[in-house]
Amino acid sequence: MATLEIKGLRKTFGGVVALAGVDVTIQSDEILGVIGPNGSGKTTLFNTVCGVYRPTSGTIRWNGVDIAGKPAYLIGRLGLGRTFQQAMSFPALTVRENVQIAIEHGSRREDDAGPRWSSPEELLEFVGLEAFAGEVTSVMPFGNLRRLGVAVALGGRPAQLLLDEPAAGLNEGESVQLVHLLRRAHELGVGICIIDHHVGLMAELCARLVVLHFGNKIADGPVDEVLNDPKVIEVYLGGEE
Amino acid sequence: MVTFVQELVNSLSIASVIILMGIGVTLIFGLTGIINFAHGEFLMLGAIGVWALVGYGFGYIPAVTISVVIVGLIGFLLERGLFQFTLTRPNNGFMASLGLSIVLQHVVIRIWNSFSKSIPEPLPGVWEVGEIRFIKMRVVVVLVTALVVAVTFFTISRSRYGLALRASLADRQTAALMGIPIRRYITVIFTYGSAIAGLGGALTIALFPVTPFVGSEMIMLGFAVALIAGLGNVAGVVGAGLILGLVNGFSGAYGTPEWTNAYTFGLMIMILIFRPQGLFGGTMGPAIE
Amino acid sequence: MAAVRRSKKSMWPSAAALILTTVVFAGVLAFPWLTPGYRALSFAVTTGITAIVLYGMAIPFGQAGVMSLGYAGLMGFGAYTAAILSRDFGLNMWEAMPISALVAALAAGLFGLPSLRISGHHFAITTYVMCELLRIALTNGGKFTGAASGLDLPPIGTVLGVKLDKLSNTYMLVAAFMFISMLAAYCIANSGYGRTLRSIRENEQLARSLGVNTNLHKVGAFMLSGLFAGVGGDLQAYNFRHISPDLYGGATSLYFALMVMLGGPRTIFGPLAGAIIVTFLPEVMRIDPVDSRIAYGLALIAVVMLLPGGVITAVGRGYQRVARTLRGRDAIDGSPDPGASWT
Repeated sequence: MATLEIKGLRKTFGGVVALAGVDVTIQSDEILGVIGPNGSGKTTLFNTVCGVYRPTSGTIRWNGVDIAGKPAYLIGRLGLGRTFQQAMSFPALTVRENVQIAIEHGSRREDDAGPRWSSPEELLEFVGLEAFAGEVTSVMPFGNLRRLGVAVALGGRPAQLLLDEPAAGLNEGESVQLVHLLRRAHELGVGICIIDHHVGLMAELCARLVVLHFGNKIADGPVDEVLNDPKVIEVYLGGEE
Repeated sequence: MVTFVQELVNSLSIASVIILMGIGVTLIFGLTGIINFAHGEFLMLGAIGVWALVGYGFGYIPAVTISVVIVGLIGFLLERGLFQFTLTRPNNGFMASLGLSIVLQHVVIRIWNSFSKSIPEPLPGVWEVGEIRFIKMRVVVVLVTALVVAVTFFTISRSRYGLALRASLADRQTAALMGIPIRRYITVIFTYGSAIAGLGGALTIALFPVTPFVGSEMIMLGFAVALIAGLGNVAGVVGAGLILGLVNGFSGAYGTPEWTNAYTFGLMIMILIFRPQGLFGGTMGPAIE
Repeated sequence: MAAVRRSKKSMWPSAAALILTTVVFAGVLAFPWLTPGYRALSFAVTTGITAIVLYGMAIPFGQAGVMSLGYAGLMGFGAYTAAILSRDFGLNMWEAMPISALVAALAAGLFGLPSLRISGHHFAITTYVMCELLRIALTNGGKFTGAASGLDLPPIGTVLGVKLDKLSNTYMLVAAFMFISMLAAYCIANSGYGRTLRSIRENEQLARSLGVNTNLHKVGAFMLSGLFAGVGGDLQAYNFRHISPDLYGGATSLYFALMVMLGGPRTIFGPLAGAIIVTFLPEVMRIDPVDSRIAYGLALIAVVMLLPGGVITAVGRGYQRVARTLRGRDAIDGSPDPGASWT
């Protein structure tokens, strides 16, 4: 099992405090959700942990290794994978090539963690995109792009995946499919930590929730507890759909 | 001492032309995001225009006026006909402008020739202040540039119009949603910047002979000044231009003239690497984010 | 087709690509036997040398998507290294070649470092400026670099009884190097390494999250391209027998960029086509150089705005459309659309 320990993580941009000292521990055997209003620092949290931003202060330990401030590619190689808020892919390349790149670089790790893929086709079948292998991604429908994003992240053989709003822009049916996919990935041994705004989806998928507000963690616990927490309701859930 | 002051004025006149280039570059690059490698050719066209008109018997001032207007018009047409389609993909604009600079240079060579061209001194003579002799034309160049800088500064950097313009260019989506005519602003800035470059050329040919390749020589200095100062920062261009003009002028007179451009280029590279937002800070940095 | 990336179905290029390659190969080899005359042959040699540099450019530019306007300078590193080694150490072209290649590769790595911090067009301007700086340094290098008048070189000499200074033999030598460059660029583009470079071009942030060390790869791609430029510089120095700083300034780099963009940096014949169109054709067809430059400038604008991927890609797409119509089928051969390159 892999553990991601975040302690006292602070990230400021000039005068703006995006993360005000966050403590979270993420284990790969659970599905963790991160919710909160816009601007609460959720994406900044992922970006800082994954090396896109350098932390202002605080520690980040991945399986005991200090990764704070390390470059993004090194963190990716250590088995901590992610997806992005905008649907990211390699546009002019085919679906197969997209996944091939992920697998080629993911397979460079020495440790045994994370799912192994014997071929791009195997991974494409797992996510249900095998019919589109030869398609160039720039012309693909959005729902497929989202699935491809997950596939590419899985190709890197992550022990833990941080997914940033993977269902954003998907309709009801596509969201349900995505939830199934994430569950199956979890069964393969990949830790899932997901940011999203669909509270219903989060309630169904996650066992534990963390709530961020203006860069502070205001709740952390089992789903039911958190969703009934008066602070959380006031700040985020109260009065909304 | 006397020589020093004279050299100072000479350097200032060179600095002035560089500043005019730099303003165009900083406004166009810094505010509109259009990268026009052919910007130097506007200077060249301004100079050649004046030369041609003077050759047909026009006086210097009418020639300058007509030339600047024509160059501005060419800038306008290029923005409408070419660069406006590259706004979403600035790299395309850059490459197209590489081709454009080659085309413009060689069209001029085709129509006339590639030899150096000059005009008789429009304002010959010197002013004497005590022992110091100021070459009249150079002083005029400095004064005209100062005027243009002041106008630019107050309309674009300080006025409300300018503020709205810069804000809307910094966040085009919001501005577009608010109904601000971004495209029109971009066209205005591009035309203005091109016309200023043309003016720079018109002034240059009054000072030195000019070849169809003068644009490529000047454009790098213009880029250097704009990037060193920080893209979008008009006052900064003046500062950087003064420094570089002085370095150029003095190294020409006292030091190692062959290396003058090298100093400028070297400084530009250093700034781009270590302080990409420029010495004085700008609106649009070249840094990767 | 003749595109660098082929159908997922097969490892080997399609039949059409093989036929085309054979035709090009044969055409290039047969050229001297068509008695083209000294002038045309001479330009053909220059074109071939230029093509070598362009194939190098195809790696960081075509694959990784980073444009540099410093390639004339890199060629200059190769050429001057060869000239100085010949003058001071008596090394011949062959002995100098690996050193020239290495020097140019190191310079390319150095020139390429700023690309890690500054974006696209600003980096391009930086490389142009660095190339000009080199030219200034060479012009003012005194005795060591021969200053403005430059340096002379001895003839290539004889290898295995073949007088390489005879122009038709020089042509064959250069053609051989050119084909080797083409093959090398092809293999690189179609390897996992090439795919990694393309991933950097397509989405650098995503590539990093997958563990790709994008900085290393970018600099590495530049260094690889430097090898080609160094070899080209060495060949050019010995071909011209005299080199001077003005051959290696920013303006020349612009022409290299123009050639590679016009021909298409991501197709196997693109760089060669670019070199032929810009360097060879106008000279051989005796088109006025001024007119031809106006034509290229316009062609480049047209290509950039209308035909991303260069002339060869456009020709390839045209061929595919015709082939489809002739075959009466809808499906094409499955190779992905080379698509927009630097656009």
